[in-house]
Amino acid sequence: MLDTLVFVTVLLPFLVAAALLVLRGQNVRKVVLVATAGVLILAALAMLRHGAFSFAPAPIFDRLVTIGDFVILFVVLFVGFRRKNQIIIWLTLAQIVGLFWFESFLLKDHPHFPAFFADDLSIVMVLIISIVGSLIAVYGLGYMKVHEEHLHLPKSKQPVFFFFIVLFLGAMNGLVLANNMLWMYFFWECTTLCSFMLIGHDNTEIARKNAERALWMNVLGGTAFLFGVILLHKTTGTLALQDILARGSQYAVAGGAILAPMFLLVFAGMTKSAQVPFQSWLTGAMVAPTPVSALLHSSTMVKAGVYLIVRLAPLYAGTHFSNFVALAGAFCFLVTAALAVGQSNGKKVLAYSTISNLALIIACAGINTPAAITAAILLIIFHAISKALLFLCVGAIEQQIGSRDIEAMRGLHAVMPRTAIITIIGVVTMMLPPFGMLMAKWMAIESASGQFLVMIMLALGSALTVLFWARWAGILLAEPFGKPKPERQYASVRTPLLVLASLAVLVSLLAPAVYTGLVAPTVAMYYKTTAYSVTMLGNLDSKTGMFIIYPLFILLGLGFCYAVRQAKRVAASQVSAPYMCGEQLDVDGKAGFRGPLGQPVAVVNGSYYMERFFGEDVLTKWINAIAIAVLVLMLFGGAL
Amino acid sequence: MILAKLLLAIAALVLAPIAGGLISGVDRRITARLQSRFGPPILQPFYDVFKLFGKAPMVVNTWQALCAYVYLTGAALSVVLLFLGADLLLIFFVLTVGAVFLVMGALASPSPYSQIGGQRELLQMLAYEPLLILVFAAIAMVTGSFKVSAVFDQTHPLLYDIPLMFIVLGYALTIKLRKSPFDISACHHAHQELVRGVYTEYSGPYLALLEIAHWYEVILVLGFCALFWATSVGGMILLLVLTYFAEIVVDNVTARLTWRWMLKSAVGMGVALTVINMLWLYAR
Repeated sequence: MLDTLVFVTVLLPFLVAAALLVLRGQNVRKVVLVATAGVLILAALAMLRHGAFSFAPAPIFDRLVTIGDFVILFVVLFVGFRRKNQIIIWLTLAQIVGLFWFESFLLKDHPHFPAFFADDLSIVMVLIISIVGSLIAVYGLGYMKVHEEHLHLPKSKQPVFFFFIVLFLGAMNGLVLANNMLWMYFFWECTTLCSFMLIGHDNTEIARKNAERALWMNVLGGTAFLFGVILLHKTTGTLALQDILARGSQYAVAGGAILAPMFLLVFAGMTKSAQVPFQSWLTGAMVAPTPVSALLHSSTMVKAGVYLIVRLAPLYAGTHFSNFVALAGAFCFLVTAALAVGQSNGKKVLAYSTISNLALIIACAGINTPAAITAAILLIIFHAISKALLFLCVGAIEQQIGSRDIEAMRGLHAVMPRTAIITIIGVVTMMLPPFGMLMAKWMAIESASGQFLVMIMLALGSALTVLFWARWAGILLAEPFGKPKPERQYASVRTPLLVLASLAVLVSLLAPAVYTGLVAPTVAMYYKTTAYSVTMLGNLDSKTGMFIIYPLFILLGLGFCYAVRQAKRVAASQVSAPYMCGEQLDVDGKAGFRGPLGQPVAVVNGSYYMERFFGEDVLTKWINAIAIAVLVLMLFGGAL
Repeated sequence: MILAKLLLAIAALVLAPIAGGLISGVDRRITARLQSRFGPPILQPFYDVFKLFGKAPMVVNTWQALCAYVYLTGAALSVVLLFLGADLLLIFFVLTVGAVFLVMGALASPSPYSQIGGQRELLQMLAYEPLLILVFAAIAMVTGSFKVSAVFDQTHPLLYDIPLMFIVLGYALTIKLRKSPFDISACHHAHQELVRGVYTEYSGPYLALLEIAHWYEVILVLGFCALFWATSVGGMILLLVLTYFAEIVVDNVTARLTWRWMLKSAVGMGVALTVINMLWLYAR
C-alpha cells in the first residue's frame, strides 16, 4: 500500500511527464493528464487516510538520485555558459565540486534510514500539491490551446510545457516527503530547473531574461541549500531529517552550532519563496503562461521555501536567530503589501500579495510558538487554494478581454459574470472573516503580540492588504444595471475554477476539523503542546483569544443571503443613472454628462495607485537595501 | 448562561442604534451651538431615517442594494460581538467586512463622485486599521488576552498603563466618525469639495440602512474607548463624554486635510506613540 502511494505521488508524475513528451496528440494528452490528475488526487487522499509513515525505496534509487543531481547541475551549468551568466556558472561549479567532495569523502557509508517520511505537515503539503496542482494542470489544457492559437506557432510546444508541469508536481511531492536531505536537495533542484524552463516557455526576449534571473536567484538558494546540508551533516552526523527533528530541543539553543546550517537553509527557503531582496524573480515569472504562474504561486515552488522554513522551525525555536527570521518575514510582509498597492497590473498585484503572504508564513515560523506555527500551516493551506483560484481567474479574464490590467476589468461582471463572481469569491476568501485565510492571519497577529516591532509591521501590512483587495473587487462590479450575457468557457477552464472556488469556501467551513485533524498533531509533535482547544461549537479558544467560526458563518451568511434576496428584488423601474452633478447623458453606451458648450462627455474613472508612495521605482531600492541589511543581521546577529 | 448571552446580544442589537442615533442628535445640536445656530431637535436623526425608509428605493445597479445590507450586517454583528465579550481582533475583522462592502457598493457605480469617495474611504481604512490593531495589541499586552472579557478582569483602568494608546484610538475614532480634519471620503459639512463621497449613490431606504450601520459603528468605537476605564461605570461615561466633546470641538476648529497628510500623520503618530508607550510598559 505504502509503496504504491509513494510511487503514485512521486515517481508516477515523472513517468507520465516523459510519456506526455512522446505522445503528441491533443486528445491523448487530455486523457492522460486528466487521468493522472484523478489518480494523484486519490493517492493524496489515500495518504491522508493512511497517516504518518516512513518508507525506504530500493537502494538503486539512491544511486539514481545522485546521478540526477549531477545531471541537473550540468544542465544548469550548460545554461549558464549558453547565457554567459557568471553567477550561474560559478555557483553551479561550486555546487558540483561541493557535492562531489561531500559524496565521495565525507559521506562514508550509504544511509541506513528510510529516504521518505511523512508526518501531518508533509501530508498537508502532498494534498495541496496533488489537488490544487492537478487542477491547475487540467486548466492548462484549455488555456494552452487558446494561448497557442494566439501565438500561431508552426509546431505545438505543449508536450514540453506539460512535461515540465507534471514533472514539477512529482518533484514537489518528493520534496515534501523526503527524509534524506540529499534527496530533498535533488527535488529542490528539480523545481528550480522546471521553473526556469516554464518561465522561459514562450521564448520571447523578456521571457528569456526573466527565466535567467529566476535561475540565478534559485541557484544561489540551491548553493546555500547544499552547503547547509553539508554543515548540518557535520553538526548532527546524519542526513535523516526525521532524526534531526526528533532531537530538536537538544539543538535549539542560543549560539548553537546548528544555527549556521539553519541560516543557510532558511536563506535557501527565502530565495525559493521570493522574499525581498529576491522578489524580482517571482514578479518576473508572470511572463509565463498563466497556469505556470498559478502553479509557482500557490501549490509548488514558493511553497517549497516556506515548507522548509516551517519544517525546520523547531530546530531554531527560542534563539535570537528565530527573532531575526520573524523580523525579516514581517518586514517583507509589510513592504510587498505596499508594493501591491501601487500596481494596476492584476498579475503583479497577485505576485506581490503571494510574496507578502509567504513572508507572513515566514514571520510565523520566526515567532515560533505553537500558535504561530499553527497559523503558518493554516496560511499555507488556505493561501494555496485562494491564490490558485485568483491566478486562474486572471488568466481566463486575460484571454477574454486581452488585458491583465485591473482598470481594464472595470465592470467585468457585465462581460464575464461567472468569472467575475468567482474572482470576488477568491478575493473575499483572501481577506475577510469567516474564511480560513483571515483566521490564520488572526492567529498570526495574536501570536506576534509579544514582539511589538513585528506587531507594528503586521498591523500596517494587513491594512494595506485590505486596500488592494477591496479596490479590485469593487471595480469588477462597476457596471450598468441589466442581466449580463452568460459566458462561454472550455470545460477544462471552467471546472477547475468552480472546484477551487468551492474548495476555498468548503475548507474554510471545515477549518476546525482541519485544525484538529492535521495541524494540531504536527504542532503537538514538535512543540509538545497545542495552541488552541476546539470548543463544542467549533470555536478555536486559547488564553490569548478566541476565533468564532460557525456562529460567524451562520450570522454573516444569513445577512448575506437576505442581502442577495433584497438585491434580486430590485426592478428595472427602480434604476437611476449614475450621479454626474449635472445633466446625465448616454455617450456611446457609456455613462456621461453634458459638458461645456453642450458637448457630451463620457466619464472615465481611475483608481488611486499612489505611485509616489507605493510605486516600484520609489520603493524597491530602499526595500532591497534594508532587506540585505536584515539578512546580514540574521547571519551575524543570530546564526554566528 | 446561553440565554443570558442571547438576551445581551438582542439588547445590543436594539439599543446600540438607538444610542447611536441619540448621540448623533446631541452631536448635531452641540455643533450647531458652537456655530451660533439653534440646531435640529435631538431626535432629528431618527426622523431622517424614518423618512428615508418611506422613500421609493432607487439604485444604479443591484450590487448597491446587496452591499448596503452586508454593511449593516457587519456593523451590527461587530457590536453584538463586543457586548458578548468576544475577541477584539475578531470584532475588528468583522467590522472590516462591513466597511469593505460599503466601498464595493460605492465602486459599483460609474459616477466619479462615488468612485472618488470609495477610493478615499479605502485610504481612510488604511489610516485607521493599523491604529486599531495596535491599540488592541497594546491592550493584550496589559491584560494578557485579546478577549474583551479580560479587560473587565483588570483591577485598575487601562488608561493608567497605556494612556498614549488612548490618543491613538482617538485618532482612529476621528477618522471613523468622519469628523474634520479626516472627513475626506464623506462628511456632514456642506462646504467641502466632495460632500457625500462614498454615500453619493446610496439613496432612500439604502441610505437609511447605511445611516443605521454608521450608528452601530459609532457605538462600537466608543465601546473601544470605554474599555480604557472599564473598572467603573461612572468612569466609562465620564471618559466617553469628554472624548466625544473633544471630537466635536476638533471637528469644528479644523479644516479638511488631504489624504496624504492623513496617512502620514495617522500612521506616523500612531506608530510613534505606540513605540513610546510600549517601551514605557517594558521599562516599568
